[in-house]
Amino acid sequence: MAETSAAPLIAIMDLHVDFPGANESKEVLKGVSLTVQPGEILGLVGESGAGKTTLARSILGVPPTSGRIAAGKVIFEDRNILDLPEPELRKLRGSRLSIVVPNPRAELNPTMTVGKQIAAMARIHLGVDRAEATRLALAILRDVHIPDPRRRMNAYPHELSGGMAQRVVIAMALICDPAFIISDDATSGLDVTVQAQILSLLGGLAADHGSAMLFITRDIGIAAHFCDRVAVMYSGEIMELASRENLFLRPAHPYTLMLLAAFSHSPKLRDAWSVPETGVRQTQKEGCSYSSRCPIAQPVCSERRPPFVEIRPGHFARCHFPVSHE
Amino acid sequence: MRVLTYLTHRLLFVIPQLLGIILVSFLLVKSVPGDPAVLMLGPTATPAAIASLREALGLDQPLYIQFFIYVKNLLHGDLGTSWQTTRPVLDDLIQRFPATLELVTLSLLVAIGVGVTLGLYAAKRPNGWVARLADLYGLSVGALPDFWFALVLIFVFYTLLGWAPAPLGRLDMIVIPPPSVTGAYTIDTLLAGDLQAFGSALSHLALPVLTLGLLNAGPILKMTQSTMEKMLESDFSRYEVLSGIPQKLVVRHALRNALPSIVTIISVLYGFLIGGAVLVEIVFSWGGAGQYAVQGVLNSDIYPVLGFVLFSAIFSLIVYIVVDLIYVLLDPRISN
Repeated sequence: MAETSAAPLIAIMDLHVDFPGANESKEVLKGVSLTVQPGEILGLVGESGAGKTTLARSILGVPPTSGRIAAGKVIFEDRNILDLPEPELRKLRGSRLSIVVPNPRAELNPTMTVGKQIAAMARIHLGVDRAEATRLALAILRDVHIPDPRRRMNAYPHELSGGMAQRVVIAMALICDPAFIISDDATSGLDVTVQAQILSLLGGLAADHGSAMLFITRDIGIAAHFCDRVAVMYSGEIMELASRENLFLRPAHPYTLMLLAAFSHSPKLRDAWSVPETGVRQTQKEGCSYSSRCPIAQPVCSERRPPFVEIRPGHFARCHFPVSHE
Repeated sequence: MRVLTYLTHRLLFVIPQLLGIILVSFLLVKSVPGDPAVLMLGPTATPAAIASLREALGLDQPLYIQFFIYVKNLLHGDLGTSWQTTRPVLDDLIQRFPATLELVTLSLLVAIGVGVTLGLYAAKRPNGWVARLADLYGLSVGALPDFWFALVLIFVFYTLLGWAPAPLGRLDMIVIPPPSVTGAYTIDTLLAGDLQAFGSALSHLALPVLTLGLLNAGPILKMTQSTMEKMLESDFSRYEVLSGIPQKLVVRHALRNALPSIVTIISVLYGFLIGGAVLVEIVFSWGGAGQYAVQGVLNSDIYPVLGFVLFSAIFSLIVYIVVDLIYVLLDPRISN
């Protein structure tokens, strides 16, 4: 699947993740493939339950609790990192590949000051001594625009506001100058103004450090402003992948259209493309997983899984009947 | 600074707490059937003699007056006299309480060592053989009576193998006890430089400490295991894994967060064992405070019982204050 001619920084290939349950296992990622170019910001948009967080964590080899990576590869720096032994993988995490998590106050260690936690990243991954690590931590806190960083270093996570804690987590993800950052819904739960600040911060820092980013969000509008290319995810599969321009001017997949319509200002458009929830979401065994909600579904959609087709250069859709804009 | 204000607050509360404990104990002990005067004078006593002894002991007064007199004496440092030993209870307890304290403290250290270590390993590898062993261990030691286990150990290590000394007290018969500084033979013999007595004290402590330590490791093991499992599955532990923190550090950080629960159960055990060691004290003829109190209960000798309750209550309250201080230091969320 050739997307661009240059070699990707990281390539996720056919990732399958399931959650083995008591009776049957639930497949959450059904063969996800993505590549991210060096310095690129790739957006990933999807609703709750699409598998975005599962994907984010599985890329680093740590699927959420009771999850299991059943198949697939993640190729980074010429090797499949999922095959690496755990101590090797730990060396990569946080230093070359890092993640910005949502809900930071729950994710930070409640009994350590934030300064110590940030410095720990430097000490472990960069091998510097305590004094140097503290200096680096202070520097990165200034970069993320935390006011009065020297005092905030000695604060505990519960003493910080949501926006501050989010900046701390960003600092921890960036202090070792990673090549690739995954931002998992990093702005949800924050005020809109804080959201905007965090977004511009993230974008600026990524550009300064030359890092590539996988920017995961539920808000397709933010993806429009922020990302170079955007992938749309539904029920564990990538439904559409396109450049920002193509996705928003010539969306091909019915689900993408529905997402755009839902955020649209025109009520006629919203009504035309919105499908009421069918109650219990049926897990499609055969065919396209979106067919039960798709307004233009045909019989073949429930029988055969649509292939991931390149409908124009660099623009892919998983649909038997992609919407045409010709 | 906040530590000092916290301490002051807690110490102020100790007085009413103690008073409440003494009142309840007093009423409970007084409600146990048995007339001390009858027991003291023996089966040949005449009713007149009994009556006059009761008057002398103040037993014919109403309960609240008896309680008032008792508390008044307490404030003068008079805990009453034991009619069995004919000595002041305070002297008896000063002699016996350190023996129990020494035994219980060493046993608790063994229990912590076994319990926390096994609990940590079991939590790190929930499906490994250590975890299964830990489950079995926790179940069985909860079911074993301590005096039975003590007797088994004596049989194996003294009767069969001859490794341990006879269970006849804290020292060999020929060894002279060291001058009393703390009352704990391990410390006092070292302070006096008497290494032979030190060795003797240690060898006599081995079996009772092993009994109490191994049997009471169960609750500590379970608490460590379950709390650590929860901590290792928590969001912050997973975030540390995601950030590439090596597993040793993840476990250490998780332990730091698990410490409040583990410290709680240790403190509860500590208070419990002061009285709970009595059966082991009897088996090993330890001459401890628990034994003393039980004799008091059996013979309606109330002053030793009340004195013991007072000592262990003060001890428990001190332990709980220390534990609460440890909490304040451990968990930054409960400072102000």
